[in-house]
Amino acid sequence: MSIFTEEQNGTRHLLMGNEAIVRGAIEAGLDVAAGYPGTPSSEIIETLAKYAEKNNHYVEWSVNEKVALEVAAAGSFSGLRSLAVMKQPGLNVASDFLLHLSASGTRGPMVLLCADDPGALSSINEGETRFYARLMEIPLIEPGNFQEAKDMMKWAFELSEEIRNIVLVRTVTRLSHASGNVTLGERKESVGKAFFKNDGFILDPMEGSVMSAPVAYKHGEQQVKLKRCAEIFEKSPFNVYEGPVNPELLIITSSICDLYSKEAVSLLNAEKRVGILKLGTTFPLPPKLIEQYLAKADKILIVEEVLPFLEESIKVLAAELAPTIGAKQFFGKANGDIPMVNELNPDIVVTALSSILGIEYKEVDEEYKKRASEICFFGSPARETTFCPGCPHRASFFSINKNISMDNRSGFTCGDIGCYSMGMLPGGFSTLKTLHAMGSGTGLASGFGKMTKFGMEQPVVSVCGDSTFFHSAMPPLVNAIHNNSNLTMIVLDNSGTAMTGFQPHPGLEVDATGSEAPKIDIPSVCKGMGVNVEVCDPFDLAKTQETLFKFLESDGVNVLVLKQICALSPEKKGKKMFNMSIDDSVCLGGECGCNKMCTRVLSCPGLIWDRETEKSTINDVICIGCGVCASVCPSGAIKKEEA
Amino acid sequence: MPELKYDPYNLIITGVGGQGNVMSSRIIGNMMSLKGFFVTIGETFGASQRGGSVMSHVRISTKETVSPQIPKGKAHMIVSLEPSETIRVLMDYGNPAVQVITNTRPTHPIGVISGQAEYPSDQNIEEWINEISSKAWFFDATEMAVKIGHPIFSNIIMAGALAATNELPLDREIFETIMNTKFNPDKAKSNLEAYDQGVASIV
Amino acid sequence: MKISGSNELLEQIQNNNLCVGCGACVGICPYFKAHKGKVAMTFSCDRTEGRCYAHCPGTETDYDVLANELFNKPYEEKPIGNYIKIYGAKAGEKAVNGSFQNGGTVTTLMKFAMEKGLIDSAVLTDSIDMIPDPQIVTKSDEIGNFSSTKYMASPTVSKFNEAIKMGHKKIGVVGTPCQMKAIGKIKSNPLDREEFKKPETFLIGLFCTWAVDTKNFIKLLESKTDISKIKSMDIPPPPAEVFILKTETEAIEIPLDDIRKIVPEGCSLCPDMTCEWADISVGAFEGRSGWNTLIVRTKKGEELINSAISEGYLTVEEFPDENVTHLTKGSVGKKKRGLAKREELMKSMDQNDNGSATAPSVVGFR
Repeated sequence: MSIFTEEQNGTRHLLMGNEAIVRGAIEAGLDVAAGYPGTPSSEIIETLAKYAEKNNHYVEWSVNEKVALEVAAAGSFSGLRSLAVMKQPGLNVASDFLLHLSASGTRGPMVLLCADDPGALSSINEGETRFYARLMEIPLIEPGNFQEAKDMMKWAFELSEEIRNIVLVRTVTRLSHASGNVTLGERKESVGKAFFKNDGFILDPMEGSVMSAPVAYKHGEQQVKLKRCAEIFEKSPFNVYEGPVNPELLIITSSICDLYSKEAVSLLNAEKRVGILKLGTTFPLPPKLIEQYLAKADKILIVEEVLPFLEESIKVLAAELAPTIGAKQFFGKANGDIPMVNELNPDIVVTALSSILGIEYKEVDEEYKKRASEICFFGSPARETTFCPGCPHRASFFSINKNISMDNRSGFTCGDIGCYSMGMLPGGFSTLKTLHAMGSGTGLASGFGKMTKFGMEQPVVSVCGDSTFFHSAMPPLVNAIHNNSNLTMIVLDNSGTAMTGFQPHPGLEVDATGSEAPKIDIPSVCKGMGVNVEVCDPFDLAKTQETLFKFLESDGVNVLVLKQICALSPEKKGKKMFNMSIDDSVCLGGECGCNKMCTRVLSCPGLIWDRETEKSTINDVICIGCGVCASVCPSGAIKKEEA
Repeated sequence: MPELKYDPYNLIITGVGGQGNVMSSRIIGNMMSLKGFFVTIGETFGASQRGGSVMSHVRISTKETVSPQIPKGKAHMIVSLEPSETIRVLMDYGNPAVQVITNTRPTHPIGVISGQAEYPSDQNIEEWINEISSKAWFFDATEMAVKIGHPIFSNIIMAGALAATNELPLDREIFETIMNTKFNPDKAKSNLEAYDQGVASIV
Repeated sequence: MKISGSNELLEQIQNNNLCVGCGACVGICPYFKAHKGKVAMTFSCDRTEGRCYAHCPGTETDYDVLANELFNKPYEEKPIGNYIKIYGAKAGEKAVNGSFQNGGTVTTLMKFAMEKGLIDSAVLTDSIDMIPDPQIVTKSDEIGNFSSTKYMASPTVSKFNEAIKMGHKKIGVVGTPCQMKAIGKIKSNPLDREEFKKPETFLIGLFCTWAVDTKNFIKLLESKTDISKIKSMDIPPPPAEVFILKTETEAIEIPLDDIRKIVPEGCSLCPDMTCEWADISVGAFEGRSGWNTLIVRTKKGEELINSAISEGYLTVEEFPDENVTHLTKGSVGKKKRGLAKREELMKSMDQNDNGSATAPSVVGFR
């Protein structure tokens, strides 16, 4: 009995935001879904894929977000209901196609679900999806709670069907990865039959060619669709006002910030003074609705995360409406009440509200706070994010860092996106010196490798994961080869998209739904490009370092594939490779000649530095027995035995 | 629906990535949801799962869905799988009335493993937690879990312990129902054993 | 005498480009590694006292400790160091003929020492693709393969450290002044390590005016010829002022000034030309091709030389007074240049570091 396969109309469940989104798509009668993994969006495709066979859906993990959007669009062009799913940086990847798609229009209902990560809880930026709606001229809707996550998802397909264009649904980490109660609705039948009509009149949107030209005509059509959206949005049940008829202060908000705003008003007992207008339809704004509520209050506080998207749109409207509604005083990003970086929470909204309303607020007694802070200083040592015990990346970065140091020409490593991005941190020996978009490590390395012309003699290394290799590291590799660059590309192949939860990728023999699939072999791909490739096990430090040395010192492009399955992978989890032990009498501890090589330098969480005995020990609860610490121990005190 | 001591009741479940924090919050959340309460759970995972501090905010209300983030200083109960994490959460979310259930088995951060930072003694931890909470329970859940078969069971032990405090209307039948629908019989049996041991740890 | 740790070593020596790559800090811990003539630290170490610092010939050194160890008396400042006798020498008729750079004295004596049981192992320097590659040899018939001048800095002392670790008790070493000084410091067990077992040593020092930076030297050679074809390298006596590369087909001359440009900064501070901290020191015999200058410095050295002579392994002749004068002049010249350079450096460090305590300890010479 699963809510993802059964009707269960009217039943109530505790669902994660992403599960609610999935249910919404299923209720809408979905046929096709494609995406690329990225926190916090990954569970959507994962869940759809799990039930794809039962639901007769086609669900895939695409090689990257642009292809995902294209695959989903093919579904729409064939008359099906389709969904593309990605996190915000993925939208940047897909945006080239999206620009054209939004102008060509869609046929079957098509929704693009984008998950933003304000505060970068699982990202290395807090990029914005919302501005894409404006840039691409497509409607944007944003659920504000779990019930809406399901309901608005379902509605997004209806809206797309009505305007024949793609609808952008934006969620955020605190909604996607949070859970709340959702009452299920009715499930529509899927379309189930695909046919791409292409022999009609060239300008016929449903039967002609699908393209964004002639540009002026199609662009004009696109803008008519957007105007229609604004009209529909005027009556949307997802734009909700709660509060007194004439509030002293009007909060305008959207997304999860609605719940923060409500909490803040309640903490200050300001329900009689403050009204909240929660917008579910944030682009284009419904002007009449906004006018109606702006007219109610003189002070307006806009509560939204990161950039002032709503704030700027509303201020433009307010300027136009000034002759009828009068001048308003705005609070938000521009006056600094709401920060422009990082995620929000109820406390930030409370701070803004208490200053605007002149209500004093203390989260907790001052003395308690002071004492708790003191205790925390001694009682809670910083817990830095690091590689898991037994993670192959720790061993890989150990070797890379050691070789680059020994090579002694100030070599450096360009990083990429994945668990191994943590190679930036001390836990990864601070090996990575650049970190940007998917595939950018090798792109940068390709460029650095040509700086020899200007006297640069530093060896250049790039790292990328197996999934990243297929996503977008192949073009820069081709670029480096063709342009005679000099670099060593290291593919950290841990057999899965580990960071986001082991989604399969083209390098594996299995697809999103678990069916057998042709596997593309990374070393063969590289060999086909004509470069020197070697494959090593990163746990074999000696062989890895020997190979890497050879590559660092040779010209041209070399690829080293470091292959070792992720310690958290279902295949490996809970199984020890070796039983590890430390011989106390041999361990040098902090003495000259070792100085805690295993604990201080390798710093694997599976080790413990015993302050009393001044020796290292194995933490049996955590150690997974990869054996790497035995290889770095200079005195042979760490022993490994086949488990 | 029974009344709650506080509405919403703010529960924080904390620990270190990989300790089964999310599972614990989901099971407790589901137990409350099945009783008809509105449950909102906010949690961080992804990058923070890799050895970092993790925290789930479980909020239970008779009336509505609320913010998935508990306001600072407003926790009513902290259930912790790692003692130094208990203290970290207390600093941000604690208050003189807060109650605490904590596993006493430390998981050393890499700063401690590498010798740059010091981990507080068991005695200090206990004293400090007692000082800044109204009531606190301490036991080695990891030890008990290892005896059941795997350290991961400590998350269910903590759920059982929470039930035994009677702070929330959590009952064993609902736990059993969830186990039997979501797990295979073997796992369900071990989980029930863990739950019962957790209950027995609260005296 | 302050012994510091690796951070100070990096700060005072490596970062001032004063490391001569002798390898004294290599092979005692997992952090310092030698690669292609350069010594590098792989991961940082936070010990405040380390053997890396204590062993380095570039850090502050107590010359009395070295002199007491080798000569059983405090240090006396002499132009060519402590010595018993100076000879002109070459391999005797009993020695197997090899391709020697000069008189074959070093190879012959090291072999002889091993055959006589004076040493159970010898640390010698071979090369791989031109790059100096120190090795531990335990069979006397393998000693002949190492007899050519490398001109490049070599981490020879790392193998001395390794030989001790392996448990060798009587170790012979052929090395340059910086390397011999490091060995003296290592033998003094500066950190008073309980487990340290001081080996017996037989040290053959090589005269040295400078060595060149390995990577830059290879680069220079590569710009002149295909390095795999190089058969030998030599510096003819003054006033030639050239460095000669010989291949099978040609002899390529490189002006010595070009070579001096790639001498590590650390070499220019060195005050020791004749390798004072050895049992015997060997160099070229100016004006006598096929012969070596041989300085006998210790009792141990003298005994070995005497038996080598009497058993026909070594042929010696009187060393002319005018050559002693010449050698003294050369040696004093290097001392003066080294000291002047050091003073200059210390002055500039004083200014840079606001007179902090780091500068004085960069003294390699008391």
